[in-house]
Amino acid sequence: MKHFYSHLIEIDSLIVEISNLEIEDHEKKHLINLAESSIYHAVLDSILSELKEEDKKIFLEHLASDNHEKIWKHLNQKIENIEEKIKSAAETLKKELRDDVNPAPFSHKVKGKR
Amino acid sequence: MAAQNKNNKYQNLKEKWGRKHDKIKANLWEKHGDSLDWLMEKTKQFTVGGASLLLLASPKMSLPIPQLEIEAHAQKVDKKVFLISNLENILPKEMKPLTDDEEKKVSEILSRDFGVKAVPELLGKRLNRSYGLIGQEQHLARYRGDNISVHFDSSEDAVEFSSYGMAPGLGGWGYFQQKDEPLNRATEREKYYIAVPTFLAPGFKENPRKIIDFFKFRKMLVVNPQNGKAVVAVVGDAGPAQWTGKHLGGSPEVMNYLERYDGSQRGPVLYFFIDDPENKIPLGPIEVL
Repeated sequence: MKHFYSHLIEIDSLIVEISNLEIEDHEKKHLINLAESSIYHAVLDSILSELKEEDKKIFLEHLASDNHEKIWKHLNQKIENIEEKIKSAAETLKKELRDDVNPAPFSHKVKGKR
Repeated sequence: MAAQNKNNKYQNLKEKWGRKHDKIKANLWEKHGDSLDWLMEKTKQFTVGGASLLLLASPKMSLPIPQLEIEAHAQKVDKKVFLISNLENILPKEMKPLTDDEEKKVSEILSRDFGVKAVPELLGKRLNRSYGLIGQEQHLARYRGDNISVHFDSSEDAVEFSSYGMAPGLGGWGYFQQKDEPLNRATEREKYYIAVPTFLAPGFKENPRKIIDFFKFRKMLVVNPQNGKAVVAVVGDAGPAQWTGKHLGGSPEVMNYLERYDGSQRGPVLYFFIDDPENKIPLGPIEVL
Protein backbone atom coordinates (compact mmCIF):
# COMPACT_ATOMS: atom_id res chain seq x y z
CA MET A 1 0.00 0.00 0.00
CA LYS A 2 1.50 3.31 -1.01
CA HIS A 3 0.73 5.97 1.58
CA PHE A 4 1.14 9.67 1.06
CA TYR A 5 4.18 9.53 3.36
CA SER A 6 5.81 6.45 1.81
CA HIS A 7 8.63 8.48 0.28
CA LEU A 8 9.59 9.78 3.75
CA ILE A 9 9.40 6.62 5.78
CA GLU A 10 11.31 3.54 4.85
CA ILE A 11 9.78 0.44 6.43
CA ASP A 12 11.29 -2.15 4.13
CA SER A 13 14.17 -2.76 6.53
CA LEU A 14 11.68 -3.53 9.31
CA ILE A 15 9.75 -5.83 6.96
CA VAL A 16 12.98 -7.62 6.11
CA GLU A 17 13.76 -8.12 9.78
CA ILE A 18 10.29 -9.54 10.35
CA SER A 19 10.67 -11.80 7.32
CA ASN A 20 13.95 -13.10 8.74
CA LEU A 21 12.24 -14.32 11.92
CA GLU A 22 11.82 -18.06 12.13
CA ILE A 23 8.05 -17.98 12.36
CA GLU A 24 5.21 -19.01 10.06
CA ASP A 25 4.39 -16.95 6.97
CA HIS A 26 0.92 -15.96 8.18
CA GLU A 27 2.48 -14.82 11.45
CA LYS A 28 4.93 -12.62 9.56
CA LYS A 29 2.02 -11.11 7.63
CA HIS A 30 0.18 -10.35 10.82
CA LEU A 31 3.20 -8.62 12.37
CA ILE A 32 3.76 -6.60 9.19
CA ASN A 33 0.10 -5.51 9.29
CA LEU A 34 0.42 -4.43 12.91
CA ALA A 35 3.62 -2.50 12.24
CA GLU A 36 2.22 -0.74 9.15
CA SER A 37 -1.02 0.15 10.87
CA SER A 38 0.75 1.43 13.98
CA ILE A 39 3.02 3.67 11.91
CA TYR A 40 0.02 4.89 9.92
CA HIS A 41 -1.85 5.93 13.07
CA ALA A 42 1.24 7.52 14.61
CA VAL A 43 1.79 9.57 11.46
CA LEU A 44 -1.83 10.71 11.43
CA ASP A 45 -1.59 11.72 15.07
CA SER A 46 1.57 13.73 14.42
CA ILE A 47 -0.23 15.61 11.62
CA LEU A 48 -3.62 16.14 13.23
CA SER A 49 -1.99 17.39 16.42
CA GLU A 50 -0.54 20.27 14.42
CA LEU A 51 -3.75 21.30 12.65
CA LYS A 52 -6.75 23.42 13.63
CA GLU A 53 -10.21 21.83 13.44
CA GLU A 54 -11.09 23.16 10.01
CA ASP A 55 -7.70 22.25 8.60
CA LYS A 56 -8.02 18.75 10.03
CA LYS A 57 -11.18 18.25 8.00
CA ILE A 58 -9.54 19.48 4.81
CA PHE A 59 -6.63 17.12 5.40
CA LEU A 60 -8.93 14.16 6.11
CA GLU A 61 -10.95 14.85 2.98
CA HIS A 62 -7.78 14.75 0.88
CA LEU A 63 -6.76 11.59 2.73
CA ALA A 64 -10.12 9.98 1.94
CA SER A 65 -9.74 10.74 -1.75
CA ASP A 66 -6.11 9.55 -1.61
CA ASN A 67 -5.01 12.74 -3.32
CA HIS A 68 -1.35 12.93 -2.32
CA GLU A 69 -0.69 16.16 -4.19
CA LYS A 70 -3.45 18.02 -2.36
CA ILE A 71 -2.46 16.48 0.98
CA TRP A 72 1.08 17.79 0.65
CA LYS A 73 0.03 21.19 -0.63
CA HIS A 74 -2.27 21.59 2.36
CA LEU A 75 0.25 20.32 4.91
CA ASN A 76 3.07 22.45 3.59
CA GLN A 77 0.85 25.52 3.84
CA LYS A 78 -0.32 24.81 7.36
CA ILE A 79 2.57 23.17 9.19
CA GLU A 80 6.17 24.21 9.33
CA ASN A 81 8.69 21.39 8.79
CA ILE A 82 5.89 18.88 8.47
CA GLU A 83 8.10 16.32 6.74
CA GLU A 84 10.54 16.35 9.65
CA LYS A 85 7.71 15.99 12.15
CA ILE A 86 6.27 13.00 10.29
CA LYS A 87 9.71 11.40 9.98
CA SER A 88 10.41 11.94 13.65
CA ALA A 89 7.13 10.36 14.78
CA ALA A 90 7.59 7.37 12.51
CA GLU A 91 11.27 6.86 13.27
CA THR A 92 10.66 6.80 17.02
CA LEU A 93 8.04 4.11 16.63
CA LYS A 94 10.04 2.22 14.04
CA LYS A 95 13.01 2.09 16.39
CA GLU A 96 10.81 0.66 19.15
CA LEU A 97 9.48 -1.99 16.79
CA ARG A 98 12.95 -2.89 15.54
CA ASP A 99 14.20 -3.17 19.11
CA ASP A 100 11.31 -5.52 19.82
CA VAL A 101 12.26 -7.72 16.87
CA ASN A 102 15.96 -7.72 17.73
CA PRO A 103 16.29 -7.07 21.47
CA ALA A 104 19.80 -6.17 22.59
CA PRO A 105 21.61 -9.08 24.27
CA PHE A 106 21.67 -8.90 28.06
CA SER A 107 25.44 -8.39 28.10
CA HIS A 108 24.97 -5.08 26.25
CA LYS A 109 22.73 -3.76 28.97
CA VAL A 110 25.28 -4.29 31.71
CA LYS A 111 28.26 -3.15 29.67
CA GLY A 112 30.24 -0.48 31.44
CA LYS A 113 28.87 -1.27 34.89
CA ARG A 114 31.70 -3.50 35.91
CA MET B 1 11.99 -27.01 21.70
CA ALA B 2 12.86 -24.99 18.57
CA ALA B 3 9.22 -24.95 17.49
CA GLN B 4 8.21 -23.70 20.91
CA ASN B 5 10.77 -20.86 20.74
CA LYS B 6 9.44 -19.86 17.32
CA ASN B 7 5.93 -19.84 18.66
CA ASN B 8 6.95 -17.82 21.71
CA LYS B 9 8.67 -15.22 19.56
CA TYR B 10 5.53 -14.67 17.53
CA GLN B 11 3.23 -14.71 20.55
CA ASN B 12 5.40 -12.19 22.39
CA LEU B 13 5.57 -9.81 19.45
CA LYS B 14 1.89 -10.25 18.65
CA GLU B 15 0.87 -9.36 22.19
CA LYS B 16 3.32 -6.51 22.59
CA TRP B 17 2.59 -4.98 19.19
CA GLY B 18 -1.11 -5.57 19.56
CA ARG B 19 -1.11 -3.57 22.79
CA LYS B 20 1.06 -0.90 21.24
CA HIS B 21 -1.18 -0.70 18.19
CA ASP B 22 -4.36 -0.41 20.24
CA LYS B 23 -2.79 2.27 22.40
CA ILE B 24 -1.68 4.36 19.43
CA LYS B 25 -5.06 3.99 17.76
CA ALA B 26 -6.99 4.80 20.93
CA ASN B 27 -4.79 7.84 21.48
CA LEU B 28 -5.52 9.07 17.95
CA TRP B 29 -9.26 8.67 18.40
CA GLU B 30 -9.20 10.25 21.83
CA LYS B 31 -7.38 13.34 20.61
CA HIS B 32 -9.01 13.73 17.21
CA GLY B 33 -12.23 11.72 17.50
CA ASP B 34 -14.49 14.60 16.47
CA SER B 35 -12.72 15.10 13.16
CA LEU B 36 -12.44 11.37 12.50
CA ASP B 37 -16.12 10.81 13.29
CA TRP B 38 -16.97 13.65 10.94
CA LEU B 39 -14.96 11.98 8.19
CA MET B 40 -16.48 8.55 8.79
CA GLU B 41 -19.97 10.02 8.63
CA LYS B 42 -19.15 11.92 5.47
CA THR B 43 -17.58 9.00 3.66
CA LYS B 44 -20.52 6.69 4.41
CA GLN B 45 -22.29 8.37 1.53
CA PHE B 46 -19.48 7.79 -0.96
CA THR B 47 -17.23 5.08 -2.19
CA VAL B 48 -13.95 5.70 -0.46
CA GLY B 49 -11.10 5.79 -2.93
CA GLY B 50 -8.18 5.80 -0.54
CA ALA B 51 -7.36 2.27 0.54
CA SER B 52 -5.33 3.64 3.41
CA LEU B 53 -8.50 5.00 4.97
CA LEU B 54 -9.58 1.43 5.64
CA LEU B 55 -6.98 1.33 8.35
CA LEU B 56 -8.81 4.07 10.19
CA ALA B 57 -12.19 2.41 10.30
CA SER B 58 -13.74 1.21 13.54
CA PRO B 59 -11.82 2.94 16.28
CA LYS B 60 -12.27 0.15 18.79
CA MET B 61 -11.35 -2.66 16.43
CA SER B 62 -7.83 -3.99 16.73
CA LEU B 63 -6.13 -5.93 14.03
CA PRO B 64 -6.00 -9.61 14.93
CA ILE B 65 -8.20 -10.30 11.91
CA PRO B 66 -6.79 -8.09 9.17
CA GLN B 67 -9.21 -6.53 6.71
CA LEU B 68 -9.39 -8.24 3.34
CA GLU B 69 -7.66 -5.49 1.48
CA ILE B 70 -4.82 -5.37 3.95
CA GLU B 71 -4.50 -9.14 3.83
CA ALA B 72 -4.24 -9.09 0.04
CA HIS B 73 -1.58 -6.46 0.32
CA ALA B 74 0.28 -8.50 2.90
CA GLN B 75 0.37 -11.47 0.55
CA LYS B 76 1.92 -9.34 -2.14
CA VAL B 77 4.37 -7.94 0.38
CA ASP B 78 5.18 -11.41 1.54
CA LYS B 79 6.34 -12.55 -1.88
CA LYS B 80 8.52 -9.51 -2.13
CA VAL B 81 10.04 -9.70 1.33
CA PHE B 82 11.89 -12.88 0.47
CA LEU B 83 13.29 -11.20 -2.64
CA ILE B 84 14.26 -8.14 -0.59
CA SER B 85 15.83 -10.29 2.08
CA ASN B 86 17.76 -12.44 -0.42
CA LEU B 87 19.11 -9.38 -2.19
CA GLU B 88 20.03 -7.66 1.05
CA ASN B 89 22.23 -10.60 1.94
CA ILE B 90 24.19 -10.20 -1.29
CA LEU B 91 24.33 -6.50 -2.08
CA PRO B 92 27.20 -4.46 -0.63
CA LYS B 93 26.34 -2.09 2.20
CA GLU B 94 27.93 0.84 0.41
CA MET B 95 27.14 1.91 -3.16
CA LYS B 96 29.70 0.27 -5.41
CA PRO B 97 29.70 -1.97 -8.50
CA LEU B 98 28.92 -5.62 -7.84
CA THR B 99 31.65 -8.22 -8.02
CA ASP B 100 31.33 -11.04 -10.58
CA ASP B 101 30.21 -13.37 -7.83
CA GLU B 102 27.58 -10.93 -6.54
CA GLU B 103 26.29 -10.35 -10.08
CA LYS B 104 26.01 -14.08 -10.62
CA LYS B 105 24.00 -14.57 -7.43
CA VAL B 106 21.74 -11.59 -8.14
CA SER B 107 21.20 -12.84 -11.69
CA GLU B 108 20.07 -16.21 -10.36
CA ILE B 109 17.67 -14.63 -7.86
CA LEU B 110 16.11 -12.21 -10.34
CA SER B 111 15.77 -14.88 -13.03
CA ARG B 112 14.11 -17.27 -10.59
CA ASP B 113 11.81 -14.74 -8.92
CA PHE B 114 10.64 -12.90 -12.03
CA GLY B 115 10.67 -15.83 -14.47
CA VAL B 116 12.88 -14.09 -17.03
CA LYS B 117 16.52 -14.64 -17.90
CA ALA B 118 18.15 -11.61 -16.27
CA VAL B 119 21.89 -11.36 -16.89
CA PRO B 120 24.63 -8.76 -16.35
CA GLU B 121 26.22 -9.55 -19.71
CA LEU B 122 24.51 -10.37 -22.98
CA LEU B 123 26.11 -11.31 -26.29
CA GLY B 124 29.48 -10.27 -24.89
CA LYS B 125 28.26 -6.76 -24.00
CA ARG B 126 27.75 -5.24 -20.59
CA LEU B 127 27.48 -1.87 -18.89
CA ASN B 128 30.04 -0.36 -16.55
CA ARG B 129 27.90 -1.58 -13.62
CA SER B 130 24.64 -3.35 -12.86
CA TYR B 131 23.84 -1.75 -9.49
CA GLY B 132 23.64 2.00 -9.13
CA LEU B 133 21.80 5.15 -8.18
CA ILE B 134 18.91 6.06 -10.44
CA GLY B 135 17.92 9.64 -11.21
CA GLN B 136 14.83 11.24 -12.70
CA GLU B 137 14.58 11.75 -16.47
CA GLN B 138 12.00 13.69 -18.47
CA HIS B 139 9.64 12.50 -21.17
CA LEU B 140 11.17 12.06 -24.62
CA ALA B 141 9.62 12.73 -28.01
CA ARG B 142 8.19 9.67 -29.73
CA TYR B 143 7.88 11.36 -33.13
CA ARG B 144 8.39 14.75 -34.69
CA GLY B 145 5.80 17.09 -33.20
CA ASP B 146 5.23 15.08 -30.02
CA ASN B 147 4.71 17.47 -27.11
CA ILE B 148 3.36 17.42 -23.57
CA SER B 149 -0.22 18.24 -24.62
CA VAL B 150 -0.54 15.15 -26.85
CA HIS B 151 1.94 12.87 -25.10
CA PHE B 152 -0.40 10.91 -22.82
CA ASP B 153 -2.94 8.17 -23.49
CA SER B 154 -5.26 9.21 -20.68
CA SER B 155 -6.12 12.28 -18.68
CA GLU B 156 -5.05 10.42 -15.51
CA ASP B 157 -1.57 9.90 -16.93
CA ALA B 158 -1.45 13.53 -18.03
CA VAL B 159 -2.32 14.70 -14.52
CA GLU B 160 0.21 12.38 -12.91
CA PHE B 161 3.14 12.70 -15.27
CA SER B 162 2.95 15.93 -17.30
CA SER B 163 4.75 17.97 -14.63
CA TYR B 164 8.03 16.25 -15.51
CA GLY B 165 7.99 17.96 -18.92
CA MET B 166 9.59 16.98 -22.20
CA ALA B 167 13.35 16.90 -22.60
CA PRO B 168 14.49 19.57 -25.06
CA GLY B 169 16.52 17.07 -27.06
CA LEU B 170 15.79 13.63 -28.46
CA GLY B 171 16.63 10.28 -26.93
CA GLY B 172 19.97 8.70 -27.71
CA TRP B 173 18.47 6.96 -30.75
CA GLY B 174 16.29 9.78 -32.02
CA TYR B 175 12.53 9.50 -32.01
CA PHE B 176 11.13 6.39 -30.36
CA GLN B 177 8.79 5.59 -33.23
CA GLN B 178 10.63 3.66 -35.90
CA LYS B 179 9.78 3.68 -39.59
CA ASP B 180 6.52 1.80 -40.42
CA GLU B 181 5.98 1.00 -36.77
CA PRO B 182 2.64 1.45 -34.93
CA LEU B 183 2.66 4.29 -32.42
CA ASN B 184 1.61 2.14 -29.46
CA ARG B 185 4.93 0.27 -29.57
CA ALA B 186 6.88 3.53 -29.42
CA THR B 187 4.57 4.77 -26.66
CA GLU B 188 5.29 1.71 -24.52
CA ARG B 189 9.03 2.08 -25.03
CA GLU B 190 9.04 5.76 -24.15
CA LYS B 191 6.86 5.16 -21.12
CA TYR B 192 9.24 2.55 -19.74
CA TYR B 193 12.67 3.73 -20.74
CA ILE B 194 15.91 4.10 -18.87
CA ALA B 195 19.02 6.07 -19.71
CA VAL B 196 22.32 4.23 -19.25
CA PRO B 197 25.88 5.40 -19.87
CA THR B 198 26.56 3.44 -23.04
CA PHE B 199 29.71 5.53 -23.44
CA LEU B 200 31.15 3.86 -20.33
CA ALA B 201 30.43 0.33 -21.56
CA PRO B 202 33.54 -1.82 -22.04
CA GLY B 203 34.52 -1.78 -25.74
CA PHE B 204 32.92 1.59 -26.49
CA LYS B 205 36.18 3.35 -27.29
CA GLU B 206 37.27 0.57 -29.63
CA ASN B 207 34.00 0.25 -31.49
CA PRO B 208 31.37 2.81 -30.49
CA ARG B 209 28.97 1.97 -33.34
CA LYS B 210 28.78 -1.67 -32.30
CA ILE B 211 28.00 -0.70 -28.70
CA ILE B 212 25.45 1.96 -29.65
CA ASP B 213 23.62 -0.44 -31.96
CA PHE B 214 23.57 -3.13 -29.31
CA PHE B 215 22.01 -0.89 -26.68
CA LYS B 216 19.30 0.63 -28.86
CA PHE B 217 15.99 -0.20 -27.10
CA ARG B 218 17.71 -3.10 -25.35
CA LYS B 219 15.36 -4.69 -22.82
CA MET B 220 16.42 -4.59 -19.17
CA LEU B 221 14.98 -5.60 -15.82
CA VAL B 222 15.16 -2.73 -13.32
CA VAL B 223 14.59 -3.66 -9.68
CA ASN B 224 14.33 -1.58 -6.54
CA PRO B 225 16.05 -3.96 -4.09
CA GLN B 226 14.53 -2.17 -1.10
CA ASN B 227 10.88 -2.78 -1.98
CA GLY B 228 11.06 -5.60 -4.55
CA LYS B 229 9.28 -3.57 -7.23
CA ALA B 230 10.50 -4.18 -10.76
CA VAL B 231 9.94 -2.91 -14.27
CA VAL B 232 10.84 -4.27 -17.69
CA ALA B 233 12.23 -1.24 -19.51
CA VAL B 234 14.22 -0.44 -22.64
CA VAL B 235 17.39 1.57 -23.00
CA GLY B 236 16.04 4.73 -24.62
CA ASP B 237 18.73 7.27 -23.94
CA ALA B 238 22.43 7.56 -23.17
CA GLY B 239 23.45 9.13 -19.86
CA PRO B 240 23.66 10.46 -17.27
CA ALA B 241 27.04 12.18 -17.18
CA GLN B 242 29.43 10.89 -14.56
CA TRP B 243 29.65 14.20 -12.71
CA THR B 244 25.96 13.99 -11.75
CA GLY B 245 26.72 11.16 -9.31
CA LYS B 246 23.87 9.15 -10.82
CA HIS B 247 24.54 5.88 -12.57
CA LEU B 248 21.40 5.69 -14.71
CA GLY B 249 18.13 7.52 -15.24
CA GLY B 250 14.49 6.45 -15.33
CA SER B 251 11.45 7.82 -17.14
CA PRO B 252 8.79 9.42 -14.93
CA GLU B 253 6.68 6.25 -15.18
CA VAL B 254 9.60 3.97 -14.27
CA MET B 255 10.55 6.12 -11.28
CA ASN B 256 6.96 6.34 -10.09
CA TYR B 257 6.42 2.60 -10.18
CA LEU B 258 9.71 1.77 -8.50
CA GLU B 259 9.06 4.49 -5.90
CA ARG B 260 12.44 6.00 -6.55
CA TYR B 261 13.08 9.73 -6.24
CA ASP B 262 15.78 12.11 -7.33
CA GLY B 263 17.79 14.51 -5.20
CA SER B 264 18.58 13.73 -1.59
CA GLN B 265 16.20 10.76 -1.58
CA ARG B 266 17.97 9.11 -4.50
CA GLY B 267 18.26 5.35 -4.16
CA PRO B 268 19.76 2.29 -5.81
CA VAL B 269 18.40 -0.13 -8.38
CA LEU B 270 19.64 -3.30 -10.02
CA TYR B 271 19.60 -3.30 -13.83
CA PHE B 272 20.18 -6.51 -15.71
CA PHE B 273 19.72 -7.40 -19.38
CA ILE B 274 16.75 -9.57 -20.24
CA ASP B 275 17.59 -12.29 -22.71
CA ASP B 276 14.42 -12.22 -24.79
CA PRO B 277 15.38 -13.00 -28.40
CA GLU B 278 11.78 -13.48 -29.47
CA ASN B 279 10.64 -10.27 -27.81
CA LYS B 280 7.92 -11.99 -25.81
CA ILE B 281 8.28 -10.22 -22.47
CA PRO B 282 6.07 -7.12 -22.29
CA LEU B 283 7.35 -3.79 -21.06
CA GLY B 284 6.10 -2.33 -17.80
CA PRO B 285 5.76 -3.49 -14.19
CA ILE B 286 6.57 -7.13 -13.50
CA GLU B 287 5.62 -9.02 -10.34
CA VAL B 288 7.48 -11.66 -8.37
CA LEU B 289 6.15 -15.08 -9.42
